[in-house]
Amino acid sequence: MSRFHLASAIVATTWCLACGSAPASNEEPKSTAASAVPRAADGKPDLTGVWQGGNGRQGTWEEANSGLGVGGTGLDPSAPANPASQQVITDPAPYKPEATARVLESFNKRGIDDPAGLCLPLGVPRLALVGLFPIQIVQTPTQLVILHEYMSVFRVIPLNAEHRTDVGPTYMGDSVGRWEGDTLVVDVVNFNDKGWLTGTGTHHSDALHVTERYTRVDKDQIDYVVTMEDPNVFTEPWTIKTKLMHREGTRLQEYVCAENNVEMEHFAKILKEGVPHTR
Amino acid sequence: MSRPVIGVCLTALAWALASPALAHHSFGAEFDANKPITLTGVVKKVEWTNPHSHFSLEVKDEKGRTAVWQLTGYTVNALYRTGWKKDVTMKVGDTVTIFGWRARDGSNSAHAREVTFADGKKLFYGPPAGTGEGGPKPAVKVP
Repeated sequence: MSRFHLASAIVATTWCLACGSAPASNEEPKSTAASAVPRAADGKPDLTGVWQGGNGRQGTWEEANSGLGVGGTGLDPSAPANPASQQVITDPAPYKPEATARVLESFNKRGIDDPAGLCLPLGVPRLALVGLFPIQIVQTPTQLVILHEYMSVFRVIPLNAEHRTDVGPTYMGDSVGRWEGDTLVVDVVNFNDKGWLTGTGTHHSDALHVTERYTRVDKDQIDYVVTMEDPNVFTEPWTIKTKLMHREGTRLQEYVCAENNVEMEHFAKILKEGVPHTR
Repeated sequence: MSRPVIGVCLTALAWALASPALAHHSFGAEFDANKPITLTGVVKKVEWTNPHSHFSLEVKDEKGRTAVWQLTGYTVNALYRTGWKKDVTMKVGDTVTIFGWRARDGSNSAHAREVTFADGKKLFYGPPAGTGEGGPKPAVKVP
């Protein structure tokens, strides 16, 4: 476990211990818990707002990203510059043996082949989990719109609709949504095979099927559970559970990745000259 | 501690171990986390651009010889959110000190983690070492 992971675990554990001294949630009046979830005019939980993935801290963007924050974006440079813990997942992804080799190849090359370096849309769920960049959700009774600052990508997700069959495959796939109780379930298909799912080298085929489950549990948090199925690369479905954290007051910015993408030239130089960079 | 609370704790712990994030490209592939460097010099050029910001620093060694270093950091979107302002926070002609990590190719290039200004103020300029390289372990079990 890296120092950052250890620190994160300590933070989580400390937070938990604090939880332990407070009344357990199941002891609170149900009406209080229900009122903590903002609701739209149609009674559905309202997912509208600006959110941050890859960071479970509450507060404004500045508060939540103080200290090391996500990628160390905070205002406290005195915090130690620990080795990054980026893109680590708790449980190994269930790749088939022949697909595992490709994941390891990218990992051992330190992600020099990351499609993000080409300024391409990252796909689902990866694009929602880039902690440096917020997303904005706009919810209506008939559709959900997700605006991703990173790569300036949008998703328009019609509710109670059929998948379209006249386009694609695409980087972000084709999404349709439906409410299951207080959880918005988004079904995504029709992907191309050019993206990664979350961590370094987590490739997939065009048979990928993603099911996202968004559950706003209170004012500050959406439980985000994603199941990825791809019979060409996985032995079984792969599910990750994480959170999207509300960042009230944060406004999305323009992001033009192609503006000055000189890093690809640097990578080409590293590869051409055989500069040692692998693990 | 009650069983539900323990469950929440385990979930939170799992989350803490699972939070993914990345920069635009792999800093780990381009820069060496085992080669930290501190440089003090005069800012010669500032590129306030995406996907990464850059600036160049003219550095004098003990013998008075000068070298120009190229520094790379965050997307400007992150810089805005961490207290930077274009053409205000750091300008051509300013003397600053950076801490970061050298490029793997041995050139006068580095990933700048932190900038210290003449008045002592410090701001992050780039992510931690190794960002984007996949973390300490791969997403799969190693056979």
